[in-house]
Amino acid sequence: MSLERPDTTDDAALERTPDELEALLGDLVVDRDDHLNAPGFVIRPDTVQQTLSLLKEQAGYDHLSVVSAQEYENRYESIYHLKKYDDPTQEVSIIVPADKDNPVSESAEPVFRTADWHEREAYDLIGIQYDDHPDLRRILLPETWQGHPMAMDYDQDQPQIATLPAHANPLQEHHRDDESDTMFLNIGPHHPATHGVLHLKTVLDGEQVVDVESDIGYLHRCEEQMAQNGTYRHQIMPYPDRWDYISAGLLNEWAYARAAEDLAEIEVPEYAQIIRTMGAEMCRIAAHMLALATFALDVNGDFTATFMYAINDRERVQDLLEDLTGQRLMFNYFRLGGVVWDLPEPRDEFFSKTRDFLDQLPGSVEEYHNLITSNEIFQMRTIDTGILPPEVAKNYGATGPVARGSGVDYDLRRDDSYGYYDELDWDVVTEEGCDNFSRLLVRMGEVEESAKIIEQCIDLLEDWPEDERNIQSNVPRTLRPDDDTEIYRAVEGAKGELGIYIRADGTDKPARFKIRSPCFSNLQTLPEMANGEYIPDVIAALGSLDIVLGEVDR
Amino acid sequence: MGATSVQLFPEFIADTLGLPGVLGEVVAALIAAAVVGNIVLAFTGVAGPWAKRKITAAFTDRIAVDRVGPFGLLIIPASAVQLLAKELIIPEGVDRPSWDIAPVILPASALLGFAVIPMGQLGPINFHLADPEVGFALVFAFASIASISLVMAGYASNNKYSLLGGLRAVAQNLAYEIPLIVTAMSVVIFAGTLQMSGIVGAQTETLVTIAGFDIPAWYAFVNPFAFVLFLTANMAEIGRNPFDIPEAPTEIVGGYQTEYSSAYFVLFYLGEFVHIFLGGAILAVTFLGGASGPGPESIGFIWFVVKIWGFFLFTQWARAALPRVRIDQLIEIGWKGMLVLSFANLVLTAVIVGVIA
Repeated sequence: MSLERPDTTDDAALERTPDELEALLGDLVVDRDDHLNAPGFVIRPDTVQQTLSLLKEQAGYDHLSVVSAQEYENRYESIYHLKKYDDPTQEVSIIVPADKDNPVSESAEPVFRTADWHEREAYDLIGIQYDDHPDLRRILLPETWQGHPMAMDYDQDQPQIATLPAHANPLQEHHRDDESDTMFLNIGPHHPATHGVLHLKTVLDGEQVVDVESDIGYLHRCEEQMAQNGTYRHQIMPYPDRWDYISAGLLNEWAYARAAEDLAEIEVPEYAQIIRTMGAEMCRIAAHMLALATFALDVNGDFTATFMYAINDRERVQDLLEDLTGQRLMFNYFRLGGVVWDLPEPRDEFFSKTRDFLDQLPGSVEEYHNLITSNEIFQMRTIDTGILPPEVAKNYGATGPVARGSGVDYDLRRDDSYGYYDELDWDVVTEEGCDNFSRLLVRMGEVEESAKIIEQCIDLLEDWPEDERNIQSNVPRTLRPDDDTEIYRAVEGAKGELGIYIRADGTDKPARFKIRSPCFSNLQTLPEMANGEYIPDVIAALGSLDIVLGEVDR
Repeated sequence: MGATSVQLFPEFIADTLGLPGVLGEVVAALIAAAVVGNIVLAFTGVAGPWAKRKITAAFTDRIAVDRVGPFGLLIIPASAVQLLAKELIIPEGVDRPSWDIAPVILPASALLGFAVIPMGQLGPINFHLADPEVGFALVFAFASIASISLVMAGYASNNKYSLLGGLRAVAQNLAYEIPLIVTAMSVVIFAGTLQMSGIVGAQTETLVTIAGFDIPAWYAFVNPFAFVLFLTANMAEIGRNPFDIPEAPTEIVGGYQTEYSSAYFVLFYLGEFVHIFLGGAILAVTFLGGASGPGPESIGFIWFVVKIWGFFLFTQWARAALPRVRIDQLIEIGWKGMLVLSFANLVLTAVIVGVIA
């Protein structure tokens, strides 16, 4: 520690060495188990809240990224990956082993609201019980599911037969008693504005929302399990494309690439990093264009011209991505150690096509500003609706445009830099409004920033000497990271912090592969925004969260 | 006054076919009504499956239907067959008689409105079915029956989205019918009559002559403020963007029409389109000089058709461009804004007319 005592606010931002953290936690620490990305402290399962609130309040770890749970031969384990919103490179992992026969662990929900869903997922898939959890139910699987599919003793041949009372139709539920005059309304799973199969259980008082609860899992495809059954080198990379499938494919692939490359200590050539950066930002534009388009759909109604205009612009980026990767949706373009192939020939044609797109983009963005953001009715609808205060956003682990729309200046591209971002000149867009309007403005601003990044990448790529165009480093055919190495790495996806936790066990497949989906955490904030508002505002708030159910449910 | 000098459509038919007596009048009236009704239905037939798609496509950089027939026009019969051939799904627990009646009331009420609309002449035929002295009041009365249909459908569907849509429809119609009619009354003060032909007739005079062009005394030119008020209230009355909240597919999944399929769905759509055209017709008669326009009076019908299609185009433009207001904002605009403005307009008009006349 430095000599002059900083006051408490600076105290939180202060970077502490692992030993200082251990000293802070004192007796709470049972053991050390460092991860590649962060020091790891093993604590007793009944001291979770104490430890986490100590770290949150005394050391400033205010961002619970994700809770990864897994089962070992002799124990269960929940890992709380903590970070700081001010500096996400300061990380710490809190490891909570639980008894094999009676896996009970204290819930972190009272300290971090976001732990609610994360622990429900751990309970659902692994089978760890969380004490003091407000609502420990299954979250991804049906309520009647038998067993915990990622537990070791799970019998996958067991028939999933549920008795009739257990299989009560949730759609029959009526929230009515003699006192209240509220109405229960199911929004979804099939509804024009849920952007996929999402089910919102809403309690209405007239048109006002009293309570809303998201019911997710309709699109759960066992992505984590599938990744655990694939080899690091080639078999996992196609899966990330299928999480956030709204053309954010390359951003997702980068999440896996970053985690696996750091795990296996693979270098990526600079040239490949530039191509990655360019491709990823193209994906971001495409994803934000769709977010803008569907938000216009939610607020303006179907048949709005804005929707088609934005889809049109997205189409241009898609063409570029198709030229680059050979695919329109499931790119599978990144490889560990680089990218699969170089820019398309003739290169000049690709460059000029990209430049044409970048030239017309500011005009398009201005047109959207004319069409929607400067429209008085649109402002009436979106300003001061769906309020998400910054403290609440942090408590829920919100990231990406959702957090930045609430003034939380958090962008992993800058704060935990990877790829070629720190060499380029661009800005992080934040808005202070905390409302639906701000979140839209952030996305529109980010489209322009992405265009700046792409332009600089193009300049670099154009002048790159022909004999130094190294698109992949030498990577062994089979990767076998050392036994018991663990890593959590995140990138800035289209929707926020997309992280991957991998535990290696010495084989060529990960022993545990956990996906930290930004949409999963962002969607949790919906009740905070929606309660007390009108139905149209709930729809607008949901649209402004820009969730993709493929990523929420994985 | 111009229009009254020409025979009404039923009388023309009775004279031409030589139908005598009361029975002849009845038969002639039925024939005339059938002709006018079918003209309006033909408009909706073109508007619904074809023109609407083409217009929306033009606004959104698309092409829309162009595979079936010239300019895709044969999509009209194709859509008709397709829609009618679909299964009529009757959900459990619907309130049967009202659930079945609601889709009939909507187009019927809108079609009734056309009974008193002077649609102008085409050659010797004057497309005007009846010209009662209270025609102007009658047309609003007919048009507002539509909300009963929406409430019935919303309530009888046994669906919460439908119910919300029905409630929204009532709230919206209450909030906008009053400013609509109060604004229309200011026109009545100008014209001094509730008779449709009289209102149209009063607009045929020349307001000013600019550089050799006669600007007619259409009330849109005489009182543009009232015109804008009326246009806005009219959009809300017929439930088009930015006031399409009784349907609001992205919020309440289509509102009162959620549970309707097949022929009932067609009836609702038909009713909505006839309603748009009735809205256009009322607007044309009240503020745009009815069937008047350049050229002889005998092509007035063409001008009238141009005006109501112009209004239809306007509704589609608004739909492509404007966001939807929220229900509470709509009520606020209606009761706190439009109502006050429309009364101010009425009082001002009365004072001005009283002082000048």
